[in-house]
Amino acid sequence: MAATLAYRKIDWTGIAFAAVLTLVIVFPLLVVGTWAFTNVWRYPSVIPQEFGLRFWNQTLARADVWSSISMSLTLAFTVTALSAAICLPAAYAFARLDFPGRNILFFSFLAGHAFPKFGLLVAIAGIFLQLNLIGTFWGVVLIQLVGTLLFMIWIPVAAFQSVDRRMEEAARDVGASPFRVFWSITLPQAGPTIAAAILLSFVGTFYETEGAWLIGAPQVRTLPVLMISFINNQPVIQYGAVLSVLLWVPSFIALLFARRVVNSGSFARGFGG
Amino acid sequence: MTAPDQIGSVTPIRRRPYGLLLVATPVLLVLWLIIWPIISAIITTLWVKTPEGNAFSVETYRFFFSDGYSLSNLSMTLWTTGTCAILLLLVCLPIALYLRFSDTKVAAYVQGLAIFPMFVPSIILSFAFIRVLGPNGTVDLLFNAVGLPKIRTPYLTPWGPVIGLVWDNIPLTVLILLSGLGNVSNQAVEAARDVGAGRIALLWHIILPRLSNSILVAISFAVLGIFSAFTLPYILGPAAPEMMGPFMQRTFRDLYDPQTAITQAVVTFGFCIVFGLFYVRSVAKNRAA
Repeated sequence: MAATLAYRKIDWTGIAFAAVLTLVIVFPLLVVGTWAFTNVWRYPSVIPQEFGLRFWNQTLARADVWSSISMSLTLAFTVTALSAAICLPAAYAFARLDFPGRNILFFSFLAGHAFPKFGLLVAIAGIFLQLNLIGTFWGVVLIQLVGTLLFMIWIPVAAFQSVDRRMEEAARDVGASPFRVFWSITLPQAGPTIAAAILLSFVGTFYETEGAWLIGAPQVRTLPVLMISFINNQPVIQYGAVLSVLLWVPSFIALLFARRVVNSGSFARGFGG
Repeated sequence: MTAPDQIGSVTPIRRRPYGLLLVATPVLLVLWLIIWPIISAIITTLWVKTPEGNAFSVETYRFFFSDGYSLSNLSMTLWTTGTCAILLLLVCLPIALYLRFSDTKVAAYVQGLAIFPMFVPSIILSFAFIRVLGPNGTVDLLFNAVGLPKIRTPYLTPWGPVIGLVWDNIPLTVLILLSGLGNVSNQAVEAARDVGAGRIALLWHIILPRLSNSILVAISFAVLGIFSAFTLPYILGPAAPEMMGPFMQRTFRDLYDPQTAITQAVVTFGFCIVFGLFYVRSVAKNRAA
């Protein structure tokens, strides 16, 4: 109702929050963006002496950048595909079938969230040490796969449960096979939410740094792991800045598609809120 | 947790044990890579090699709690976690309260900004932190331009991880608090206003009692994430004393001492167990509802 009034009190509190948050959250990222497109920026000039794309060419000419991009993408695709292959049938079973131990098994996926994450990773690394999985591709795949289980089961379960059962039963009544019902009725309705879960697990795996660093480094070098070594050892600032911009691309895609999901109340409730 | 309706309704025609087959792989993964490592960590640190064969011993824990360096790392971790939790509440509660009670365009922008850090990987955040607050960073540039002295940079001090971790945890803290504020009805607020309650009284007597559970959930989630945080303390924090995350990593990979690293991990489990159980219970309760 207030919106229809011609006169409206100026939202000073909001403007103050907006100004402070812009300064604290947007400004640092703009600085990184500026560095990525800078050829020369010497202290104490407030703005760069020379803008340009020189360091994009140099960064993209580095072999370690390309090998870690392909390592990150291979890992993220492998983990997401495996996760979808084992979690989606499980999610369907949790949503639709009754079997002994259904509740306790469903809530067992929360177990990992009762412990501080890095401590748990160290405990897993202790197991991997005996199995010679430290420093191997499949060791990193396993540790990242465990990290995707909760989301890849809980979100699709909710999706399958929200499918209208009466439509499925009606299709069965007119003689559709169970597979046909799944393909033509269930999947189209549950599909968008499942796609969001798959996207989130891909992006989450792409940025997973701690498991990759603890289990994989130095043999398995993903893009975030390379970024750590750029921050620690690379005197040329622009390499890190260009890599940051490259590294942000999957997050940007997630931002475009997942923002509505994140802003919905059910997302916060999924975190216990 | 016995009724099948706990995780939503199923209308089964009959019990179908073959559902177990479909859920077997992920469940076995949880058993193998979460439950077993935790049990194994406790066993291997308590059932240790002695000259007379394996025996029960708390020696590794006695070492941890008598070693000055381990203890200073632990106390630094506790300090960082506590400081971050307090700062997060001080920052996020006002934002959440503002978002709950306004619907302007500015509020939509503020909400977008508060959630934005969720889409910035912490590794990019670390880099941005160094470029802005590090030596000769943007703040130094701007101060220098107006004739002010350089700042004492928080980079590589205990405040580095604190600033980074608070930044990183703002989105979920705001979302959890905002979701909790949904329990505060407009009628309750208006009724209190009608009888003349001021802003402070409103906050203290009407809002906070209804919000206390969400505050505890938000704090538990933040504590679990911050206590064993690795990336931000590793990049932004001091080399010594260090937080438990980098400490465990260094002990495991650089010192090749998995036994001690796993002891440190079990110590972090012990310090977080109350928060962890409370957090998991809240999530399970919400999911079952």
